Amino acid sequence: MATIDFEGKRVPLRDGDTVGSALYRAGVRTFTRSLKHHRRRGLYCMTGDCPNCLVTVDGQPGCRACTTPAREGATVRRESGWPSTERDVLKITDHLHRFMPVGFYYKVFVRPRWAWEFAEKIIRRATGIGALPMGQAPRMKPSRHVHTDVLVVGGGAAGLAAAKAAGGTGARVLLCDEGVPGAAIAPGAARDRVVALARELDAVSNVTVLAGHTAVGVYDGPLVPVVGPDELLQIDPGRVIVATGAVETHAVFPGNDLPGVWLGRGAARLAGVHGVAPGDRAVVVADSVEGILHLGTLKAAGVTVLAAVVPEALAEAVPTDIEVLRGAKVLAAEGRSHLTAVRLSTQQGERTIECDVLTLSVGSAPRDGLLRMSGDVSVCGAGEVVLPGCSLEEAEASGAAAGVGAGEETPREPDPVAMGVDGYVCLCADVSVHDLEAAWAEGWQSSEILKRYTTATMGPCQGAMCGRHLAAFAAAGAASSGAGARTTARPPARTVRLGDIAGGVNEVIPKHTALHDTHGAAGARLDWSGSWIRPYHYGDWRGEYRAVRERVSLMDVSTLGKFLIAGRDATALVDRVFPTRVTDLTPGRSRYLLALDEAGYVMDDGLICALPDGRYYLTSTSGGADRMEAGLRNWADRFGIRAHVMNQTAMLGAINVAGPHARDLLAELSDDDLSAGAIRYPGHAEVTIAGVPCRAVRVGFVGELSFELHHPRSCSVALWTALIEAGAEWDIRPHGLDALDLLRMEKGHLYLAQDTLPDDYPDKLGLGWAVAMDKGDFIGRSSLERMAALPSERKLVGLRFDAEPQRGVPLMTGDRIVGRVTSCGHSPSLGYGVGLGWLRSVDGEFPSALTANGVGCRVVPTPFYDPEGARLRA
Amino acid sequence: MTIKIACPTCGPRPYTEFSFGGELRDLDAPTPHEDFVRVYLRENAPGPQDERWYHAFGCRRWFQVTRDTVTNRTGA
Repeated sequence: MATIDFEGKRVPLRDGDTVGSALYRAGVRTFTRSLKHHRRRGLYCMTGDCPNCLVTVDGQPGCRACTTPAREGATVRRESGWPSTERDVLKITDHLHRFMPVGFYYKVFVRPRWAWEFAEKIIRRATGIGALPMGQAPRMKPSRHVHTDVLVVGGGAAGLAAAKAAGGTGARVLLCDEGVPGAAIAPGAARDRVVALARELDAVSNVTVLAGHTAVGVYDGPLVPVVGPDELLQIDPGRVIVATGAVETHAVFPGNDLPGVWLGRGAARLAGVHGVAPGDRAVVVADSVEGILHLGTLKAAGVTVLAAVVPEALAEAVPTDIEVLRGAKVLAAEGRSHLTAVRLSTQQGERTIECDVLTLSVGSAPRDGLLRMSGDVSVCGAGEVVLPGCSLEEAEASGAAAGVGAGEETPREPDPVAMGVDGYVCLCADVSVHDLEAAWAEGWQSSEILKRYTTATMGPCQGAMCGRHLAAFAAAGAASSGAGARTTARPPARTVRLGDIAGGVNEVIPKHTALHDTHGAAGARLDWSGSWIRPYHYGDWRGEYRAVRERVSLMDVSTLGKFLIAGRDATALVDRVFPTRVTDLTPGRSRYLLALDEAGYVMDDGLICALPDGRYYLTSTSGGADRMEAGLRNWADRFGIRAHVMNQTAMLGAINVAGPHARDLLAELSDDDLSAGAIRYPGHAEVTIAGVPCRAVRVGFVGELSFELHHPRSCSVALWTALIEAGAEWDIRPHGLDALDLLRMEKGHLYLAQDTLPDDYPDKLGLGWAVAMDKGDFIGRSSLERMAALPSERKLVGLRFDAEPQRGVPLMTGDRIVGRVTSCGHSPSLGYGVGLGWLRSVDGEFPSALTANGVGCRVVPTPFYDPEGARLRA
Repeated sequence: MTIKIACPTCGPRPYTEFSFGGELRDLDAPTPHEDFVRVYLRENAPGPQDERWYHAFGCRRWFQVTRDTVTNRTGA
């Protein structure tokens, strides 16, 4: 026989069981201990609305036992109370109300201040909530966008009718339901009708019913996130029909939270759907025809109904073998750990009836959270959510009208809620009528601040049970009408797991260059660099460094941003956007390029190459490619400049061939003239290397003779392989990002974002030479002019260290912090430590003798290595 | 939250496909002070606002959108 493991005991299952129904059948009555007072709480709503049955299922805390399907072999644990939910010594707090007044968080342990640190730990432990599974990675669901014409939330009579009607117009319709349509409804005509409607929709191809999918919010747009069993759906519907129905009104009287007190539909569902008798002897309170129907359901499950409390109009409908109490009122539920008796005021006076079940069908509370949180005109309600207490026929008609987009239903005001002398208004946070009165007396006199002070409506049920009570309480006492309004509804409307919210956020698609597998085969350590996966080293970064400085080396620089600027006004675009002088750039020449924003701050840097026929080829940093493209397109659009911007980053590969023998290596593979006269530094030429057409660009980042070979991506592997093979003569080896970091630092070249801050303008970085202030207007010009008038307070400088330097440490003069080391390392070529760092001026001057975490250093000019640049110009 | 943005090329698409380019501002200003205001200061006012949007995950076109900063409704 199928079983679940409940706290070490085997609990048998029957078909269709939920965790709650199986446990109840096995005799479990206390499912949780309440948050503050540790009162016993048991099954109550059976629809996933109330917080009374939150248990841990297979390590997942906060599962609602009443609606969680019981799966063979599942382990179920109760999560509140100490040492156990059944024997909870903390129940003493139930008798210590005066030490835990409403808002006690703000009052108790305020003084002495140190006490709170200890008290908080105890209080947090004492609160009856489950423990997060620590040390276990959250199960993040993938996320998917879904577009549909109509989204229906809720698979009851109204929702299904709406889906059917909308489907009939040919629209694409999605219907999501927390469970299986019909499964949560107590037996009777409504359940039969809903099951029949659901079956009808099975045959309609343009209507999809998603069972087990919970809509958790309605955001602007509208966008409706729906949590399914295996994924998070972000639904982008043309229209939303909210048909979430209603939960029965939570009645407030002393003892209203005792196990044994039920919402009418809850008891009927347990009895009728799962065949479990809620108890032996029942008192039924019913204000509606539906409530009368439950009498038969309970009876069939073997419950003796002692009395039915009904209004005069329904008295005739009660079967004759049940005592009818016309117009009676529940005063209190009595019992210590479970309901034992109900005290009623009747026409004949007060009366106590011994029983173990009290069911309450006293009105209908719309589950209108989703409806109220959306201000969008394309969201409407149908069925009980707008017509609380409506009949099955009314619900269907309202759904059908909403389905075809007919005039919106004006929400019908539900019956006002009445409250007894005491009892729990908010089950989630243990807020009683007395608590509300105390808070009111303290001056918290509107529903919104009552909510914040008492935390009523802020628990797992999100006000589904108590929202209207809180508003009614405030309205009754308030001087102004606004004070008694319902509190603002916000997502999420239903409990959501962190892993669900995080659905999809871990889906980062790594970018690979065409040489990714080649690097892997060569033993590279590949890792993230921005959005790319790049080689950091190939096993020996020092050896790679030496290959560049002494012989020849390769680096895959395909990640660089690569752009072709063409069209009638190509020159006008680059001239207007960049601070670099471009009008005198003749074909075959290149120039260092800075990209500024309007505030004059350096956004990116790269290289601009003038091509024949007025076109330009631009490179940007690997991380700045998208921003560079967006910027160029933006300015072209705003200035009305007619130029094409073509992002060639993905279509072109690039390999930097660097080292004293770079030209020798290329000459072996090419018939083209590669001499310094043919391709001057800084310049470029179209050449063929190993049969691959390349744009060879002379660059100087690593400070040696270098040719960046930009080529069709499809040829990357062939070109790389040919270079490696031909380079064997010079013991060639590729270098990764680790070697590059030191190589560029020796040249004093900065890494944007590592060595710079978002508000650095060129002068601060020592890049003033790259800005042509004597040319026409460019982006950021007016800001640079403004800043030129300001005294220089901070700048990036080259540093020479006396001993091993440390990155990130503060730069000091004496005991005064004046800067920070942003990059550094020991230079094998120079034999001492070099680096870059920030320096602030002190009394109008930049200090030059510094210490960095105890290591002496001084400000020196850059580049450190080959200051004349003879090597890279070779 | 999702805002629908009507791209002139691709039609209405969810805002997650776009990059926000900020409030629409003048390209230059007659005086240094007005230029300072143009570059650094934003209106950030409730109500309809002209904005720049870029269809980054689409046609890569820039265009202007009027968005109500209170309701997030877009369009003229």
